[in-house]
Amino acid sequence: MTQAAWTKPAPRTPIATKVIARPQRTPHVQSYVPEWLKGTALTMKHFFTNTKERMLGQKRDPVLENFDGGITTIEYPEERRPYPDRYRGLHRLTTRDDGSPRCVACLCCSTACPAQCIHIEPAEYPDGDERRGYERYPSVFVIDELRCVFCGFCVEACPCDAIRMDTGMHPAAYDSRDQFIYDQPILLSMVGRDGGRKTENPRHEPGDPTHPGVTREHESH
Amino acid sequence: MADGTIKIDGRTVPFEKGDTVIKAAYKAGIDIPHYCWHPGLSAPANCRMCLVDVEPPPGRPKMQLDVLHWDAQTNDYVVGKKTKLIPACQQPCADGMSVLSDSSDEVSQARKTVQELLLLNHPVDCPICDQAGECDLQDYWLEHDRSKKRMMDEPVHKPKAEVFGETIVYDAERCIMCTRCIRVSKEVAKDPVLDMRQRGNRNEIFVAQGRTLDHEYSLMTEHVCPVGALTSNHFRFKARVWFLRSGRSVCQGCATGCNAYLDYDPRDNKPYRYRPRDNESVNGYWMCDSGMLSYPEAYEGRLETALVGGEDSDLADALEQAAEKLRGLESDGARVAIVLSAQHSCEDNLALAHVGKAFFGVKDLYVARRPDGEGDDILMHADKNSNSAGVRLVAEKLGLEPPRPMSALVEALGKDRYDYIVSLGAEVDCDASRLKEKLSKLKGFVALASHEGPLSKAAHIALPAASWAEAAGTYVNAKGHAQLADKVLVPRGAAHPAWQLVLALAKALGFTTDWKKRADLEGVLFPPALEEPSATPAPEAPATVEVQP
Repeated sequence: MTQAAWTKPAPRTPIATKVIARPQRTPHVQSYVPEWLKGTALTMKHFFTNTKERMLGQKRDPVLENFDGGITTIEYPEERRPYPDRYRGLHRLTTRDDGSPRCVACLCCSTACPAQCIHIEPAEYPDGDERRGYERYPSVFVIDELRCVFCGFCVEACPCDAIRMDTGMHPAAYDSRDQFIYDQPILLSMVGRDGGRKTENPRHEPGDPTHPGVTREHESH
Repeated sequence: MADGTIKIDGRTVPFEKGDTVIKAAYKAGIDIPHYCWHPGLSAPANCRMCLVDVEPPPGRPKMQLDVLHWDAQTNDYVVGKKTKLIPACQQPCADGMSVLSDSSDEVSQARKTVQELLLLNHPVDCPICDQAGECDLQDYWLEHDRSKKRMMDEPVHKPKAEVFGETIVYDAERCIMCTRCIRVSKEVAKDPVLDMRQRGNRNEIFVAQGRTLDHEYSLMTEHVCPVGALTSNHFRFKARVWFLRSGRSVCQGCATGCNAYLDYDPRDNKPYRYRPRDNESVNGYWMCDSGMLSYPEAYEGRLETALVGGEDSDLADALEQAAEKLRGLESDGARVAIVLSAQHSCEDNLALAHVGKAFFGVKDLYVARRPDGEGDDILMHADKNSNSAGVRLVAEKLGLEPPRPMSALVEALGKDRYDYIVSLGAEVDCDASRLKEKLSKLKGFVALASHEGPLSKAAHIALPAASWAEAAGTYVNAKGHAQLADKVLVPRGAAHPAWQLVLALAKALGFTTDWKKRADLEGVLFPPALEEPSATPAPEAPATVEVQP
């Protein structure tokens, strides 16, 4: 390292320049009309192409066609891009055959939830109910979809396959924040993206021959 | 003190005469896994989880059993030897004894096997079990087993959600038959209402015919249950234990002052249950039902805002108006009465009594207290106030007469002796309607109360005091133990610790003290600072002590 290194900077290499000629101010350019016509013609070309493709059903999906020409927009919400199969959308609560929630209010989902957006109040089945003692149920089940980060931990944590994120829907903005608070009836009313309510992992229900029962009368083992 | 030492895994552990191996280990903080043993109960040795390898005396052969091992290579059984293991809860300590626990492979194998056996018919319904998170079956499975269930058969099913009494619900499937609940009923509550019937995998706990589990210590059966077989009706399905935090508190139910953990959810600042906190010199390992169920007092019936003439008011305004009422009464003690509270901490009472004596110059103290109730010879005390002894101690420290009961105040008010009263506490043990009538004639009445009651309702100005759970405070129990209860919850509404309100009121009247924090007040009452909060006997108070404010 020498002193000259900082007392005398290295000579700068000249920057390669390219001289661009000014546009000629010909009457053709100055009058503006021909250029406007050119631009309008391009717009109208796209307009007619799109209209024709739309009328004849020839429009190609720009994502699938890898943007090779054509237009890149779709007309949401009439047209929608397909979500991937494992897209984590809005939650739904799965039901049993009698329509009651499969959830047993164990709070595993709200424990796993990193956003703490699930609120559950467990309750016990009344005396005499066949499910009393065998399990419990949620008297209140609320998900704040604004807080939710859609990580899917709740689905992973659920031991009963009671909560799923397979509706294929994203939470849509309506007109107030309150509408993102999904309570139990809304969550139960949602169906999977195939339109079905079936779940894997069927449980032994009271009345089934496989249900162990909670009294000694059932005991046959 | 120690009568000898034993070695557990090579570590020297002292013991006292009569200690079993597990008790000596427990005292030394070594965990020998166990289900049926409890430090406060007898040892039936029926869970077999605490099996340890006791080495023979020098020169003696090891006790061994002949067993058949399966040999996979020859596809046949071969005769082998196995060490005879001893339950640590039954083996008395002898000087120089050497015990192998964690370091022995045979002990580890035995624990794994016992754990597998106990889980054989377990329903594994942890998601809906209240014990999940503090369950010994879960903890010991993680520590000692970690294997999947090998049994292919359907487990034996037993009754679920059987109501044992008003407080307890029983699930026979989860039960591991440790008999702790039976022993609590028999040995602690002295009411042998529980027993077991059937045998083997049909074994279950039942309540004596014609009875329910209704003794005063029924919640202790749930407390000692190492699994989720017994659940408390009051805590059942209310919260998951991993959401709860514990604060060290002192039960306010009676003058016994049982040490307790107050379990609360920090997200909603609400207590969910009490748990006994072990303290051999006060409550042992137990608490009574009425004490265990007194936690809702932290949020029920609370005075959460200041009241001026019965209307909600801003705390600062209320303090100003209270000062206005009491202005110009310096050294006019004959017209002013101070009412202390046997349900507030020593600090709260000291602050009020000191201001009363040093500023107003009062001679007479009264004490508001809950009426006496029933006591027993186990834990419950007939005096249902947590700090009766503390109030007497405060008066003694300040060189005043012991506080008189509220009935004496009613009498004195009948003779128009007082025009002004400053009171602490909510409940009174005298006729409330008569008291109210007398109090209505006062010129100035300022009440500090944590709960709504006859005093706060009759007061011209009521100030919201923090409850026992919301402010640290010292309570002196009937035996004279001064015990510190920690601040557990955030004060509700506008509540502040009563001693702070008293000092703020005094300051507004132009009377200041050096007391800045709670420890300053505690230091006045208990000069050597309490090092271990629980179970420090209150020092003998000298007859004349000048308080240095």
